[in-house]
Amino acid sequence: MSNLSAHVLEEIKELPAKYPQPRSAVMPALDLAQEELGYLTPEAMTEVAEALQLDPGYVEGVATFYTLFHLEPIGKHRFYVCTNLSCMIRGAYEIVDHVKRQIGVERPDQVSADGLFSFEEVECLGACEYAPMMRLDHRYHYDLTPEKIDKLIAERKGNAAPPSPAATPPRQGGGPPQDAAPPSPAATPPRERGGPPRNAAPPSPAATPPRKRGEPPQIAAPPSPAATPPRKRGGPPRNAAPPSPAATPPRKRGGPARKKKADG
Amino acid sequence: MAEIRGSFGDQPHHILTADFGTPDLHKLSVYESRGGYTALRKALLDMAPTDITNEVKTSGLRGRGGAGFATGTKWSFINRDAPGPKYVVVNADESEPGTAKDRYILENCPHLVVEGILIAAYAVGANQAWVYIRGEYDEPHRMLTEAIAEARAKGYIGPKPFGKDYPLDIRLYRGHGAYICGEETALLESLEGKRAQPRSRPPFPAVKGAWGRPTLLNNVETLATVPAIINMGGAEYAKLGTPKNPGTRLLTVSGNVRKPGVYEVEIGKTFRHVIMELAGGPPEGRKVKVFWPGGSSAPVLPESMLDMTTDAEALAAAKSMGGSGGVIVMDDSHCIVKAAHRLLQFYAHESCGKCTPCRIGQDWAARTYERILANEGSQVELDILQRVSDGLQNGRCLCGLGDSGGWVIDSTLRHFREEYEDHALRHTCNVGKVVVNA
Repeated sequence: MSNLSAHVLEEIKELPAKYPQPRSAVMPALDLAQEELGYLTPEAMTEVAEALQLDPGYVEGVATFYTLFHLEPIGKHRFYVCTNLSCMIRGAYEIVDHVKRQIGVERPDQVSADGLFSFEEVECLGACEYAPMMRLDHRYHYDLTPEKIDKLIAERKGNAAPPSPAATPPRQGGGPPQDAAPPSPAATPPRERGGPPRNAAPPSPAATPPRKRGEPPQIAAPPSPAATPPRKRGGPPRNAAPPSPAATPPRKRGGPARKKKADG
Repeated sequence: MAEIRGSFGDQPHHILTADFGTPDLHKLSVYESRGGYTALRKALLDMAPTDITNEVKTSGLRGRGGAGFATGTKWSFINRDAPGPKYVVVNADESEPGTAKDRYILENCPHLVVEGILIAAYAVGANQAWVYIRGEYDEPHRMLTEAIAEARAKGYIGPKPFGKDYPLDIRLYRGHGAYICGEETALLESLEGKRAQPRSRPPFPAVKGAWGRPTLLNNVETLATVPAIINMGGAEYAKLGTPKNPGTRLLTVSGNVRKPGVYEVEIGKTFRHVIMELAGGPPEGRKVKVFWPGGSSAPVLPESMLDMTTDAEALAAAKSMGGSGGVIVMDDSHCIVKAAHRLLQFYAHESCGKCTPCRIGQDWAARTYERILANEGSQVELDILQRVSDGLQNGRCLCGLGDSGGWVIDSTLRHFREEYEDHALRHTCNVGKVVVNA
């Protein structure tokens, strides 16, 4: 179920007109895709490419360049802990170790067993006067201590399930890492970025199966209106009527469809 | 917002931060009550575009992003009369390690930046400005978005600001995590929806920048300084600081100091003043060992050079630079080899891969540090570091990222050779505290 929903694709198709040249829409479009799915699947990148009339390889090339695009499932709450110099000399690596212990993962590509948490060491986040610091859930958290980390974790567990004081004892470092296979895309909890949890509506049975890379592009069948999840970003739905299946998006700007990237 | 750490309030040398700390300064009404947008009004209604550029030239303002190029001169490179669109692009992709000043400005007073952008756009003949803001800056992005909306509602952004028939617009573009985007041509590539790899110059952005159009690129702090220059006059501003490097600038002091913060300092004050007085010096019982005077890319200076002044000329004479104003202080409980290793990991990770010396060299250096810190080093590793450092420098790469890694190796080796030899030749670390990173 990695396909992007129709309304997200519609939103993506509206992006190019906002920029002096349409190619600038690629990152905002990937943002929307990642916001919906939690991370960027190959299928999602292909769909973004089709929506923007770019080559899928080009879009993937952009996505792999930037660290804020995730190509693997990540936890609902991801700890981006700065370990660059200013934070390192004020104990950032101790904070990273504590986070890893408390959420029970060893590596950035793992997700905690409950699907809630993952972590990543990042480069300087530009808040050095508050070192050690990190970014979590679109906010900066300053002057980190193990106690603050514990509190942040507890708060987030409380939101997901009734809090239990005994919840998840810290895993000891020696034990095998939480290598429970990364959750399948379908099980990936929605990324939070304001608004109610997504994926609440079960996917429409008619939803297009994930397309393998290389297969000819196909336009997603129109989702049944009932299955269309509610728009999560502000404002009413832009177009209530589902797009016609045959509707190839009209190119927003003149010129022939772009081919492969024009330059190296 | 978290407590302010750094300069705020009206002090004689506070130009940018004089009103910081005023409650709700991020709101347009409060900003205007403190004299905000008078510079924009003056620029639009009382000054010709060339007058504005000349005023900035007179002020001697130099870019605060890192390279320190003369701002007024940069503005004059844009051919105002060239047909077709021109752009102002604002570099808000602050990611030089140890630098937080642009975030500090954006969170405290986003309208200062908005006003500076609008003045610059009018001066160089642009109608649209794009702010490229790093993706991790959620709060500054929100503040700036609100400030732009307020300015739009007031008509300062729109078809006729202050009644002047000169449309002005500001748009935001979010980065997605790549240090290289702080480099101006890489930023332009990213803004155009590409992998952020620097362009070769010429053509310079002033001729062919964003979307192939003439483009003025300035840093947040640089533009935030412009309203003050218009208000007080370039000549008055130039009285501050040193003759060749006038004015004040924001120094982010971080690391082993008691009061880390973003301090507005008159250029030419000593680092002893900045580190020991403003930032309170190292913790009890510790000594300053080394400091990076201008972000991690600026070659290090040892404690013995604390009396170095903060102006570009003095720093250049000491083979360093003012860079982005990120002053990172490390005390004597930390090992310089481990610090250098961490920074080389950073440069290796952030190399965009376009130029071979940087793509290969940074990684090679990082792995050499790994061997040294695993007590597998010898004279061979020290020689490798020196050789890789030389190979990274002196214009062998398209942008400064290559040089930066080289400078870290070179300057730490130069000032702390003995510590390197302890690790590489004697397989020991004589520094009190061991950093976890090894």
